[in-house]
Amino acid sequence: MTSWPDFLGMPLWIWVFVLPSVFTVLARFFRPQAKQILSPLWRWLDRVYTASGVVASFFMVLILVIIIFQMMARWTGVTFEGSTEFAGYAMAATSFFALAHALGHGAHIRVSILLNLNHFTRLWLNAFAMFIAAITATYFARYAIKTNFLSEMLNDRTQGQDQIPEWMLSMFEMVVTAPWNWGQIWSNTSEAWVYTPVWVPQLPMSIGTTLLAIALWDHLIRLLVNGESDIKAETVQ
Amino acid sequence: MTEFYATGIFLFVLFALLGSSVWIGLALVGVAYVGMELFTARPAGDAMITTIWTGASSWTLTALPLFIWMGEILYRTRLSEDMFRGLSPWMRWLPGGLLHTNIAGCTIFAAVSGSSAATLTTVGKMSIPELRERGYPEYMIIGTLAGAATLGLMIPPSLTLIVYGVSINESITKLFLAGVIPGLVLAGLFMAYIIAWYYIKKDQRPAPEPSMSLSQMIKESRFLIPVMILVFIVIGSMYFGWATATEAAAVGVIGALSLALAQRSLNMKTFTASLMGATRTSAMIALILMGASFLSLSMGFTGLPRALAGWIDSLDLSPIVLIAALTVFYIILGMFLDGISSVVLTMAIVEPMIRQAGIDVIWFGVFVVVVVEMAQVTPPIGFNLFVLQGMTKHEISYISRTAIPMVGLMILMVVILVIWPELATWLPENVRNTPN
Repeated sequence: MTSWPDFLGMPLWIWVFVLPSVFTVLARFFRPQAKQILSPLWRWLDRVYTASGVVASFFMVLILVIIIFQMMARWTGVTFEGSTEFAGYAMAATSFFALAHALGHGAHIRVSILLNLNHFTRLWLNAFAMFIAAITATYFARYAIKTNFLSEMLNDRTQGQDQIPEWMLSMFEMVVTAPWNWGQIWSNTSEAWVYTPVWVPQLPMSIGTTLLAIALWDHLIRLLVNGESDIKAETVQ
Repeated sequence: MTEFYATGIFLFVLFALLGSSVWIGLALVGVAYVGMELFTARPAGDAMITTIWTGASSWTLTALPLFIWMGEILYRTRLSEDMFRGLSPWMRWLPGGLLHTNIAGCTIFAAVSGSSAATLTTVGKMSIPELRERGYPEYMIIGTLAGAATLGLMIPPSLTLIVYGVSINESITKLFLAGVIPGLVLAGLFMAYIIAWYYIKKDQRPAPEPSMSLSQMIKESRFLIPVMILVFIVIGSMYFGWATATEAAAVGVIGALSLALAQRSLNMKTFTASLMGATRTSAMIALILMGASFLSLSMGFTGLPRALAGWIDSLDLSPIVLIAALTVFYIILGMFLDGISSVVLTMAIVEPMIRQAGIDVIWFGVFVVVVVEMAQVTPPIGFNLFVLQGMTKHEISYISRTAIPMVGLMILMVVILVIWPELATWLPENVRNTPN
């Protein structure tokens, strides 16, 4: 386990891998209590996944809008700098934001041939698969966030021609800065347009993968507590 | 020799993860991670995100959600009802009668949707009850439908071809155009099968349809005309170089929305349902592509693709033998995986192989689609079989038996493609210069 810095006195991997696993096992042993404590949280999380799916769908509409503008720009001879990059960012945002939502609706595909053998595999193989998936997704999210932070620290800029107004950037920066430093951000903000810093379009990747990891741990715990998976596949996708 | 063991572990982990029903996209990430740890000292996590971010935010990929959305909108319109009414007046004259509506309906819907399951549901919803009522034999109704629905994967817009194009970095437009003629030929083969059935099994023919005047025929099919126009705009704009694949998809979405609006089947509920459905499907494919891009990075470090390509080269196989071997390989893979997963999983290994052997990659895209189409109707895992089971309540084993002749026709299609590769390559070579 390299590059896992300490966080609040413990290596980060204990926080993201071991603690959720311990919690999952505990939930299985104290099922009634876990159900009672977690039920309100489940309802709340379901709303979060749906909200994230709705955000994803907005970005899909945005792809459509960008491409239509790009076509109109070409026909009228106007240049729309960086349209392909913006469409790409919207694409990434659509995909990442929808990951957890798609999971809950059974949209992600898997080889279910052994899963449906009998009751035992339907519970325990499913739990095993969800556990592996949760570990993988957590790993994915951890590095997505790390890369996102690195892009911000190194002030990594786009390779394309896409620019955004600096005030938009300052608004994003406010979210990750303490309120007493907000004045400083805005005093440094000009009216200019700047090449898109990569960390802004990468935010959906960090958020989306984190939600996916949370969703997988969540569904794993629900499976172990309720004895059946709440991921119901829809007939046609 | 350690390389050998490492490769063994790598493949074992791959099958173990997929077999234990880990979601395919995440399973690929897991396998790729193991590969990185086994074969290279490079930090796996950072390399993973760099690769995945580049892939996930690429412009080429934007065609995917839009084409999915277009299909989702039309899937929720009254198209399904209009399909049978509009097509049946034209099909009743053919030997084999209304069974041909299955094929023609699937072909038309395939041209607005990239999904095989959606094609199957849209056409089957109306044609199964109507054909049953008219006394067509059950095995012909189910079999032809199961087979023809796979055209959804081949006739553009095709999600499998988008995924293939993104994986090997080839023009989506060219791949789409390459799929047109082979798709129509395959549809022709299915129709020929129905005609053959008509002449061979004379005792199974249902009573002939009452005659109908030409004006009535046109009146009945008026609802299909807007869809046909939409098909020609989407494919034509790519062919004449007016639009890239993504732009054609955007036009398709607008067209589908206006069509639904004109039909009065577009309201807030169907709009939201189509949008959310498309978002989910697109995220599903995106997750697989993310896993696949990390896997192909990792696979590069294992040296497996190069070694295999070198080995194939040293065997000095003729391309035909190679294609035959790959056909068998993909059919076996397709028994357990869906088409898109089979394509992304194998491309890292197969691409150097076919380039080495001098096989045209556009042609190979069409070939791969035909062979993974078979996967849709071969047991134990065939998505069309599951959908049909839900619709007809037949056993999977019965449905897959009815689809066996269709699998035979698809194998025949592979042979045709090998003999006349121009079927796939002629149209893309003659395409006008595309923007971008």
